[in-house]
Amino acid sequence: MHIILIEDDQELGAAIRRALERLSYTVTWLLDGEGAVAAMRDETADLVLLDLGLPGKDGLDVLVEARRARIRTPVLILTARDAVQARVHGLDAGADDYLTKPFHLDELGARIRSLTRRMQGLADNRIEVGALCLDLATLEVTFRGQRVDLTRREFSLLQALMERAGRLVRRDFLESSLYGNDKIVGDSALDVIVHSLRRKLSFETIQNIRAFGYMIPREPQ
Amino acid sequence: MKHPSLRGRLRWLIVTMLVLVLLPLALYSFRRTTAEMEELSDGRLAQAAHTISSLIQRTGVRALIGNETLLVPVQKKSTLRSLGEVRTDESEVGFQVFNGQGQLLLGTANLSTLPSSAMDRSEFLDLKKAHHIWRVFTFVDKANDMVIRVADRYDTREEIVHALWLDHGLPFLFGLPVLALLVGWAVKRGLQPLTGLASALATREPGNREPITLDHSPLELQPVLAALNEQIERQENALERERRFSADVAHELRTPAASITLNLESAMATTDLAEIYDSIAGAHNSVRLLSRRIEQLLALAKLEANVASNQPATIDLLEIASDVIAELGPSIAGSGVALGLPQRQSPVLVQGYDAALAALLRNLLENAIRHVPRGGQVQLAIEQNAHETTLEVIDDGPGIPPERRHAVFARFHREASSRGDGYGLGLSIVQRVAWLHRASIELLDSPLGNGLRVRVAIPVGA
Repeated sequence: MHIILIEDDQELGAAIRRALERLSYTVTWLLDGEGAVAAMRDETADLVLLDLGLPGKDGLDVLVEARRARIRTPVLILTARDAVQARVHGLDAGADDYLTKPFHLDELGARIRSLTRRMQGLADNRIEVGALCLDLATLEVTFRGQRVDLTRREFSLLQALMERAGRLVRRDFLESSLYGNDKIVGDSALDVIVHSLRRKLSFETIQNIRAFGYMIPREPQ
Repeated sequence: MKHPSLRGRLRWLIVTMLVLVLLPLALYSFRRTTAEMEELSDGRLAQAAHTISSLIQRTGVRALIGNETLLVPVQKKSTLRSLGEVRTDESEVGFQVFNGQGQLLLGTANLSTLPSSAMDRSEFLDLKKAHHIWRVFTFVDKANDMVIRVADRYDTREEIVHALWLDHGLPFLFGLPVLALLVGWAVKRGLQPLTGLASALATREPGNREPITLDHSPLELQPVLAALNEQIERQENALERERRFSADVAHELRTPAASITLNLESAMATTDLAEIYDSIAGAHNSVRLLSRRIEQLLALAKLEANVASNQPATIDLLEIASDVIAELGPSIAGSGVALGLPQRQSPVLVQGYDAALAALLRNLLENAIRHVPRGGQVQLAIEQNAHETTLEVIDDGPGIPPERRHAVFARFHREASSRGDGYGLGLSIVQRVAWLHRASIELLDSPLGNGLRVRVAIPVGA
């Protein structure tokens, strides 16, 4: 899952990125509001974490501009402004949730999962497709009742495919979901991860549609 | 304390004015009436004397000449009343006819004891008889060789005047309270806009930024309204500045706090040593940033307290500059930036607050040093002419594009190029000190490359 983080504070930004990567998220970190809307425009990100007190362009302006450009990606605001009025402003400007600094890692994770669930229409943190089950909170994957150990990227790829089970998912979407906006990876990197996932599950679990993309069918064997 | 009421004041002023003007008018009118009354009554006495004289002449003077005095009986008041007569007191008027020798020929009985008076000339006299003073007209009738005296009593005249007093004075007395009430009502109506203003103020919601407006506000209230609205606006602006300031302070303090929390939680959640190290280093940096910001906030608070309790003094800017440079010595040396000092040796005296000016200089120098890459240079210049003392910090760093310079002084504004430890609080201290000294701050192009030239001008005599 791909998250755009817009935070100007070096240490806080680095800490959030480290923490989110450990939770198997792919993070693109921007230090100011200038390029934020452009980064959000293709909607390949699943979530935006937006700091309001940004140098140059204010976070709220970024949000308003993004919503005006019809970008529907969920936005979670991170801010030190705790006045009710500020929260109302943020939510009314199109934010989906609001987290006041300082916050705890657990709460940030929970809110990201909650926004993701809402986006996917899920009732809990578990995604089940046939014999496959993926838990977003514990990062556990089971296949035919057996626990499967996956790397961070394998987990991300599986999640991206399971969230869209039964549909063909394009390669470029999967790549941005795995590597964020820095597309410096080779063409085969995605195939390598798919290959190792098939080894850990079964070959038929992930179907290949001729260099166009991948798909997990609704009822994998 | 009881507050004096404008209404009461106006009412009493108006009523007092009315009394002050009406009372002399009434007195004057009363005196005129009395004088007219006297004239009229005297005229009637004279007319009566002439009438008697001509009556006697008609009937024949001879008829009266004899040894006997003929006294006309006078009707008492009670008798008259029983006869159903309307008026008057016959006992209060009377006449006498004397012959040339002063012998009384004819007269009313009530005047029989009236003292005698000079019989040789016609005149008006006041004569006392028993308890009453009589007004007497003596008419010397030379043609008939007779003297006629006609008299009436003064108290009769006074009764008429008293009646006039009561008839005109009493309504005035009773009218006065009514007048006061009416004036009170009129004043209340006249002051209605004031009540309107009071209720507009009383029902005003706290935090309402709209100016106060009144329907049909009178001319006299306009300056009050204008002053009030200006005051409200100033207060709102000050409040808004404070709100923004506290929001910015919150951001500046909570962001590193969030970073510390997250970094430490990350460190606790992993066993990867490299990751633990990164997290703790991040937390450490944030702690340093946080304590620096706390120091800046404390400096700002101290500055405000210092200025509030001290008077400006004459101070030497060069001395302050050398203190600040000595204090910054280690960080200047560590930054690898060359610092150029002012050439002047003679003192540069200004009126101001030494701690505040030192804070200004320290922040400007620190900012410049922080934004100049290693090997760059920062120049401090202090000059004075007849009009102003200027203090310039010039650097050859990345500078700030002209179009963004105006935004720099917004409290806590951070330039996009400055990472982490931005201008932030430092510049708001600079701005506050400049304001205290009525000094202007300009951000100009640096003569050294692309850098920035910050020019603070303190007017002489500020």
